[in-house]
Amino acid sequence: MTPARGRIADLDWIHALYELGQKAANGAHPQQVRQEILEHIVRGFDAESGSIALIVDGTTDQLELAAGTELPRGLIGNPLPRGAGVFGHVVETGQPVLVNGDAAETGLPLRGSVDRQRSTHSAMCWPLRVAGRTIGAVAVNRAETSPRYTADDLDQGQALMSLLALVMANHRMHVERENRILELSTLNATMQRINGMLEDAQNQVIQSEKLASIGQMAAGVAHEINNPLAFALSNLGSLEAYLTKIFELLAAYIDADVALGSTNIPALAAARMLRDETDFEFLRRDTADLVSESRDGLLRVKRIVQDLRDFSRGGVEEVLQAIDVHAALDRTLNIVRNELKYKANIVRNYGSLPEIECMPSRLNQVFLNLLVNAGQSIDANGTITISTGVDDKDAWISVADTGCGIAPENLNRIFDPFFTTKPVGQGTGLGLSVSHSIVRKHGGRIDVESEVGRGTCFTVRLPLAQANASLPNEAEKRAA
Amino acid sequence: MSSLLIVDDEPNVLSAMRRLCQNAAVMPAIHNPSIATFTSAPEALDYLDDHEVDIVISDYRMPDMDGASFLACVKERHPDTARIIMSACSDIDGIVRAVNHAGIFRFVSKPWSDPDLKATILEVLAHRRLLIENRELADEVRAQRDVILRQKLELDRLERESPGITKVRWTEDGGVLLEE
Ligand SMILES: Nc1ncnc2c1ncn2[C@@H]1O[C@H](COP(=O)(O)OP(=O)(O)OP(=O)(O)O)[C@@H](O)[C@H]1O
Ligand SMILES: [Mg+2]
Repeated sequence: MTPARGRIADLDWIHALYELGQKAANGAHPQQVRQEILEHIVRGFDAESGSIALIVDGTTDQLELAAGTELPRGLIGNPLPRGAGVFGHVVETGQPVLVNGDAAETGLPLRGSVDRQRSTHSAMCWPLRVAGRTIGAVAVNRAETSPRYTADDLDQGQALMSLLALVMANHRMHVERENRILELSTLNATMQRINGMLEDAQNQVIQSEKLASIGQMAAGVAHEINNPLAFALSNLGSLEAYLTKIFELLAAYIDADVALGSTNIPALAAARMLRDETDFEFLRRDTADLVSESRDGLLRVKRIVQDLRDFSRGGVEEVLQAIDVHAALDRTLNIVRNELKYKANIVRNYGSLPEIECMPSRLNQVFLNLLVNAGQSIDANGTITISTGVDDKDAWISVADTGCGIAPENLNRIFDPFFTTKPVGQGTGLGLSVSHSIVRKHGGRIDVESEVGRGTCFTVRLPLAQANASLPNEAEKRAA
Repeated sequence: MSSLLIVDDEPNVLSAMRRLCQNAAVMPAIHNPSIATFTSAPEALDYLDDHEVDIVISDYRMPDMDGASFLACVKERHPDTARIIMSACSDIDGIVRAVNHAGIFRFVSKPWSDPDLKATILEVLAHRRLLIENRELADEVRAQRDVILRQKLELDRLERESPGITKVRWTEDGGVLLEE
């Protein structure tokens, strides 16, 4: 009895082969697993050496060396000459071959390197077939010192080969699947990245289109609104002056009447009755309020139209000027300090900044908007911290508050024109979008970080020098 | 007294500006203004042909003739009037054109601020007065120089008491022609 028969009939050996197959399915390194399977087979057949050749994917007869014992490493993965050697023969015919003695004696066409490796004493070679298709072949060899293989050994091996073929096919499928998964996931990642980029670009486009259409609308509407606004505002001023005169006149008459004392001029009696019915003092006070409140309303309209107009390139452009940003911040702070001082403690954390080229009053407008927003976010006892600094080629100015914060779902909308969470009359939702477009015009950007209940920090970044800031950006070109 | 001419296609703007200019209570006051208003630029041009006007204020965007072209016409026909353009839109190109071609003195955007507008009008009037005065002064100086020159020549002649007197000839406008 040959030792081979004993070993391969052993359940443990078969189980181990099965395990190796599993291992392959579990994603171990394919070459390694093939090598282990081969070594297992070599042991099982008490062989001295062995090799596995597999048909290259996408071909019908191109073999490549998939595993081998006693072979120089570099040979693994090498293609075998088509139709050559024992492997070529076996794959071509689909029949196992037993070679005893010099291989040349069998009449096989021996040209392949595997066959020539050394002169074999005894060898067996089986095709690996799955579902009627040959996927490769396995060979085992014995040296002179061992007994030769017999036809029985060949048959017995043949019985095992379908199992081995399955293991190899499974393995190959698994590898393919792994590769595909890898491919798919890289593809997926790429798609996600591209998607993200597209989304960004789209958001940009939407944002600039929004701004552009607002700008267009604003330019058109500004004219229509500004004319009535102009005469209404001016008339209000004239009316105020007239009313002052009228009240002066009335007061003089009343004084005169009082001085006159009691008389019985009938016309005067009627006037006195009328005067008693009227609360003259109230009228005078309330008329003043009425005029000033109306003026406030009109001035608010004026500001909104002006803000809107800032979207269009038409907004009167300022010349670039190198300014001390800290001084600008302080001036802006002075304007809002009165409003802020009851709610917030203002901390100035100025770093060192060089002078920055900008359109000064536009930049002040940005600071003003950020400070007003910060103030409005705080109910009481808050802190507003203004910090500045330089990194790389940018200057940065941040306005941080300890206010209500911004809900995550609103974070990407706050720069939209007309987006506001403030009550009617308090916010038009233009502050940030105007600021955004001003900063963009300077070649900079605004970033925001916020946590609900903890506070918000807006950071404005500006290039230290303006390369072509006075050139309109794309959105503005379209708006123009 | 200052005479103002205001052109705007919107009658309400015209009456608001008229009120503003006449109302001495809104400072600074324009002293004794006479104000003519027109909703059409061509009509205003006709009026200017036979009325003396110190300052012309025109809206920029108007249907029959835009403010820049109108003021350019005014400049050509009546160079001594001061010119202000007003606009409710911020059409930079148009305004630049107005400044360059119509030689406007000021640009005012709508809605205006009452005191600012009045101050601008007064400033422009003062500026114009200065220009005219300067020119009149220059004319006077020139005229005087002519007189002096003439007197000097006369002196020369008298001094020499020579037959050369025939060489001095008077031109039509009173200048002196010197001939060898
Ligand atoms: N510092 C901040 N803290 C919390 N929320 C803020 C802050 N700044 C902006 N926001 C949110 O962003 C929205 C948009 O701000 P934006 O300045 O554009 O408009 P607004 O302040 O509502 O009105 P406007 O500035 O025109 O008066 C605000 O309504 C608010 O919800
Ligand atoms: Mg705001």
